[in-house]
Amino acid sequence: MNDSLKPVVDWLRARNPALGEIPADLDLIENRIVDSLAFMEFILFLEDLVGRELSVTELSADQFRTLHAIEENFLAGEGSR
Amino acid sequence: MTDDTEFRQLLERLSARASSDYYNPYTTFDWPAELPEDEPWFSPELLSVHGTEYAERLTPDQLRALGRGESINFYSLNVHGIRELLIEVMRRIHTPGFEIPSEFFHHFIGEENEHMWFFATFCLKYGGRIFPEKRLKLSVPADDPVRENFLVFARILLFEQIVDHYNVRLAADERLHPTIRQLNRIHHQDESRHIAFGARLVQLLWQRLLETGPDEDDRRAIGRYLAGYLSASIGSLYNPAVYRDAGIPDGLAFRKRLLDHPARRAEHRRVLRKSTDFLRRIGVPEA
Repeated sequence: MNDSLKPVVDWLRARNPALGEIPADLDLIENRIVDSLAFMEFILFLEDLVGRELSVTELSADQFRTLHAIEENFLAGEGSR
Repeated sequence: MTDDTEFRQLLERLSARASSDYYNPYTTFDWPAELPEDEPWFSPELLSVHGTEYAERLTPDQLRALGRGESINFYSLNVHGIRELLIEVMRRIHTPGFEIPSEFFHHFIGEENEHMWFFATFCLKYGGRIFPEKRLKLSVPADDPVRENFLVFARILLFEQIVDHYNVRLAADERLHPTIRQLNRIHHQDESRHIAFGARLVQLLWQRLLETGPDEDDRRAIGRYLAGYLSASIGSLYNPAVYRDAGIPDGLAFRKRLLDHPARRAEHRRVLRKSTDFLRRIGVPEA
């Protein structure tokens, strides 16, 4: 797993203390690790991480569905941060 | 639906008032070319920093910039909230189970469309933007339509009650520009009907849900969900992009400090009082 994902994993674990390791292909939405009410907080956190504003209306849930998808869609090129 | 007569009478009264109070929003407002930036756009007492030491550390310029940003953020939230509620009401109008309120839904949809127009106009004309939506409807299948109907209209009502808290105060604030006061006064007038309607509908939908025999855990889960919804709604009033635009560094951390601040938490309870009182009165368990 890329180092760029570590803050994302830390954020998810802080909100789900019972969570162990999060496989990169685990469905975060289906498993309610991120639910619709926590989603705004997650977006604000992600915006802070990538340093740009995200518009949800231009995005789909699939882009946040797994750690792998988050890395691919938002953190590509962030590995050296 | 139980207690049809009383609900029908309420809807008749509200529909008659909607017709007699009808105005043409497209000709009602005075839209000056610009709003003075040396005057407040948002009541200082409604700012997200109010009551904290952070308010004292900001310069007068920063406080005015924060007021402009929080004003545009507030109306942007209205635009997104109205889009969501229009979609949900459209899905249900003239469908089984909604025969009685469908007539009033026509007034509701028409008025909400107009509110969305004047809020969006304000944002674009004076803020140059509508802040982007941050909530995403995650596709968890609705396996229980009775529960889903209750939650949809409960969310609409709670959203309207929170917005109304701000509308009433902004409309009455003589320090604000007449256009700002007018926008909030007119929205409050229409919303008072929507809130009266919503409160009765949500109560009836809660009774209908109870008739399906949810156990204690189910009822508590609904209470937790709605408490989470109220909390997320309050959180949406604290926008890191607004803090950044007002020259406040590290907007996300600043937001968290405010949300956790005892003075702000006490203010949240005041903003939410009507909503939490309502949920308690109809018997939704507290989280």
